[in-house]
Amino acid sequence: MVLASYLMPAWGLVDLRNRLIEWAVIVAAFTFMLGIFNILQVHGRRLSRRRSGWFYSLVLVVAMALAMLPPIFSIPLLNVPESTWMWADRLIFDDIITPVGATLAALVAFVLLAAAFRLLRTRHSAEALLFLVVVIVTLLGTTPLVGGEWLADVRYWLITVPGMAGMRGLLLGVGLGIMITALRVFIGDEHPYTDL
Amino acid sequence: MSTDTVMASLLLGVGFIVLMGLRILRGKKGPDPMVRPLPVFQELKTEVGYAAESGGGLHIALGNGSLYGQSAITSVAALQLFSSLSDTMVAYDAPPIVTVGDPTLLPLAQDILRRTYERVGQAKLFDPRQVWFVAPSPVAYAAGAAQVSALEPISAEMVIGDFSAEVGFIGQSSMRHGISSLAAVAAPAAIGALYPATSRLAMGEEMFAGSAQVTGERRHVLALLAQDVLRLILILAILTSALLAM
Repeated sequence: MVLASYLMPAWGLVDLRNRLIEWAVIVAAFTFMLGIFNILQVHGRRLSRRRSGWFYSLVLVVAMALAMLPPIFSIPLLNVPESTWMWADRLIFDDIITPVGATLAALVAFVLLAAAFRLLRTRHSAEALLFLVVVIVTLLGTTPLVGGEWLADVRYWLITVPGMAGMRGLLLGVGLGIMITALRVFIGDEHPYTDL
Repeated sequence: MSTDTVMASLLLGVGFIVLMGLRILRGKKGPDPMVRPLPVFQELKTEVGYAAESGGGLHIALGNGSLYGQSAITSVAALQLFSSLSDTMVAYDAPPIVTVGDPTLLPLAQDILRRTYERVGQAKLFDPRQVWFVAPSPVAYAAGAAQVSALEPISAEMVIGDFSAEVGFIGQSSMRHGISSLAAVAAPAAIGALYPATSRLAMGEEMFAGSAQVTGERRHVLALLAQDVLRLILILAILTSALLAM
């Protein structure tokens, strides 16, 4: 019905689509509650049995509890001054969670580079060498090296010609796979979540 | 209707006709279509056996795809592959730890595992805590899932689903702890991040061939055949439009 409403926006299908999407959003929101209970179950067991890494589980549970406080304090019945819970909200999300997330994201580049160099030790093949050469040229081509402007040109060619061609081919194949899988879900052929 | 909607409808219609046509014509008769073997899926059952022999478990990372976003179908494909594998894992007594980065996958993954234990008559062994919701943000999920190989007795790791470059954390952790790793991802960034970590990597559309490779069921193989037919149609359309544009 949702798909039909995009193809034939008539006969009240658009309203029906919007209503169904609202219901799906509500159900998805409830799954977040399931997720919170799951986190408490998994990490609570680790804490209670003092299994390895229990300290990290403690930090997680305490951090989760603290992060829940500002929205709870914002309930009008509790009469907490807005400036107080707004300050707590900013402290937790802007001053702790965001910088930590950015730090982790910054680490990704170094992790990938380390993995690329480790590749040469574990796999001695032309593909591995090519992978590493392309990684190095792409990284150096991004930096403003004096006398290295030609690297930027090589990087541009690598990204726009073979890289773009490969990615388009990959994404075309993925798109076809997604389409066939979606059609199979529609006709009831793909149902990993039932016994039918 | 916009041009994009018309083209999408056309493609869906052609896809539906090809899929249904193959199911009707080759659904129950004719020789089994040949499927190119992919090492990552051929070695899955072997890895499960090794894990069972060594007394360790398996870590299945299903990624941060949700069931309501753009990655919904990728997540469904990952769940299908997990479902195909779960029978083997439970039969070999190699209990999996499944990590998800979106809570909409949590109940489905738990249900797949529960029904698997029920099918083999060991419903009492099912523990819903075998499925972990790690974190809703991709980087936090990757960091949390990487900890599984560090903290739990894991012998092998399977990364399937919607990931991006941060999956490098998981690959790096499994390399550091000497854990055998297999992966099936669709996103180019994830492919680039996992290529150094494992030689057993299913890239892009190969991910959707997982169920056919693991179970060998005809309906999965026919879906692959439908993909191949559509790919040929698409190639002819691109070449024709290129020739006409000259």
